[in-house]
Amino acid sequence: MSSVRGALHRVGIRPRLRRREMGLLLLVGLALVTGWASLESHRAGALEIGDLTLLAVYMGTIGIIHVTFVITGRRMDELLLPTAALLGGLSLLLMSRLPQGMASQSFFGTLLPLAPLQLVWLVLGFSLLGIVAVFVRNDGWLRRYKYTWAAAGIGLLLLVFIFGDGRGGQLLTLRLGPLSGQPSELLKVILVVFVAGYLAENRALLTMTSSRIGPIRVPPVPYLLPMLVMWGLALTIVVVQRDLGAALLFFLVFLALLYAATRRASYVITGLTLFAAGGYVVYQLFWHVQQRVDIWLNPAADPLGAGYQVLRAMYAFGRGGVLGTGLGAGLPQVGGAPAIPAIHTDFVFAALSEELGLLGGLAILALYGIIAQRGLRIAATASDDFRALLATGLTLVIVVQAAIIIGGNLRVIPLTGVTLPLVSYGGSSLLVNGAIVGLLLALSDRGADPPPLPSRRGSLWRRLGRRARGLGGRVEEAVS
Amino acid sequence: MDTFTIALWALRLAFVLLIYLFLLVVVRALWRDLRSGIVTAGQAIGRLVVVSAPEGQPAVGTSFDLDAVNSIGRDVNSSIVVEDTFVSAEHAMLTFRGRAWYLEDRGSTNGTWVNGQRVETYLPLGYGDEIQVGQVRLRLERPRVA
Repeated sequence: MSSVRGALHRVGIRPRLRRREMGLLLLVGLALVTGWASLESHRAGALEIGDLTLLAVYMGTIGIIHVTFVITGRRMDELLLPTAALLGGLSLLLMSRLPQGMASQSFFGTLLPLAPLQLVWLVLGFSLLGIVAVFVRNDGWLRRYKYTWAAAGIGLLLLVFIFGDGRGGQLLTLRLGPLSGQPSELLKVILVVFVAGYLAENRALLTMTSSRIGPIRVPPVPYLLPMLVMWGLALTIVVVQRDLGAALLFFLVFLALLYAATRRASYVITGLTLFAAGGYVVYQLFWHVQQRVDIWLNPAADPLGAGYQVLRAMYAFGRGGVLGTGLGAGLPQVGGAPAIPAIHTDFVFAALSEELGLLGGLAILALYGIIAQRGLRIAATASDDFRALLATGLTLVIVVQAAIIIGGNLRVIPLTGVTLPLVSYGGSSLLVNGAIVGLLLALSDRGADPPPLPSRRGSLWRRLGRRARGLGGRVEEAVS
Repeated sequence: MDTFTIALWALRLAFVLLIYLFLLVVVRALWRDLRSGIVTAGQAIGRLVVVSAPEGQPAVGTSFDLDAVNSIGRDVNSSIVVEDTFVSAEHAMLTFRGRAWYLEDRGSTNGTWVNGQRVETYLPLGYGDEIQVGQVRLRLERPRVA
């Protein structure tokens, strides 16, 4: 053992135990096994624990990531991984409980139904989390090429506009041969990187000057331009892609970042005014927006058509009550299909709230609250503006998205189709959210590199030059 | 009620309770973390880290805690003493006013630079910006939090 440690020390790696993370992960494992037993017992009608393979593979992956963190000895946050692991575990429980035919995809010739498929995505997503957390030690490549990132993001969006697969009225999916994905998931990360880079560079100027229109203090007009661009982008997404959720997410996260960078309420007020105006115009012009709002206001107007899902979700919340029906006991089948068609993507919160009750629903909210606290704490302790804004933006992308879809499920705001991060079924969503949590962990590393110095090439010559200049200066001083 | 129903009910509740146990442990950790991070009066509001100093004074990696007003120069009475051939006695002034840091050149012989741009009168700074006085480069960073 000591020889292994010695060998690691020689290559500059000092293993460091992460006791809190380990304890919490054991608790997550215990909770998930209990949940699994509860689900299997309900199915079998007798006390039974069932086949634990899926759960074992999932917890094994998380365990490997934990051990990797320990061996590399990074001083990263210890609460984010267990929290994400619990959300992912709830997802796995729910997916193995839903009808398995809801989604299927073949990997290397074997057709995987819903639960194993979700397991594959969870394993890939968490592996990405681990890889990003361990290997991203330097944020220079994110910071320096921010306009390149922005261009890549807009290019991605254009690709969807042109080649997108418009199923179900929304233009979301991009298919490239056998691969398909939802670029708006990736786009949100790219936009956060760009906005964080832009604001970190111009923060001082944004806070310093202001112009006046009448009695109102307005932010300096040239710096409002990117805000208008973002606003235009959000509206374009609504109109062309019909993706209200993504548009709402982008704009809200952007405004929050702008406020975090400048602490100016005037930006937020200007932004919200623009948002309200844009929203009103879009509502007047496009039927799909009108339909969403109408369903929200009165889902019972068309109970078997447009309002069906929302109405069913409300029944589900009601059936769940405080303690829930128990895993496996909710969601009566309607003609062999689940009551809510998009139960595995948009309505996972309704499904979990039915089976785990108000208590379970509140616990899920608390888990996102923990992610918010950790992320903003990482931002508050970051060493410079870019890292602080990046951490804030990444955190908000997860938390605001969760708020949008949970609000939609609960009929607090109109329903917009975004995924519940780390819980909903879907490859793109899980991979991107895994990468986001990984980046947050990397940013929380207190041993991380400072931003890189300019290239060291020709340093010998520069050093000689400096010596010469130093000597010259001393001669000058001596003579004078 | 048969024993199976009761056992299933207990399992269900145990699952939810374990989730809440997890939350409880996490919240306790959060609480401790927040308590340890409380900023007390008299604590620094930022710091300057030496990125490069060809003449070795101050040493690379040295971190100066900043007050609201800081003078930078070769004079021993400066709050940040930079011992470099090309630094004037009273070289520059770094102040925190309201919402941002400002760097002011105090008529130095060889000038003050921020990210390679010369400071003519004064310039607002953000955390992560690099200041150059003489041959010494310093980076403005947030205060360290425990």
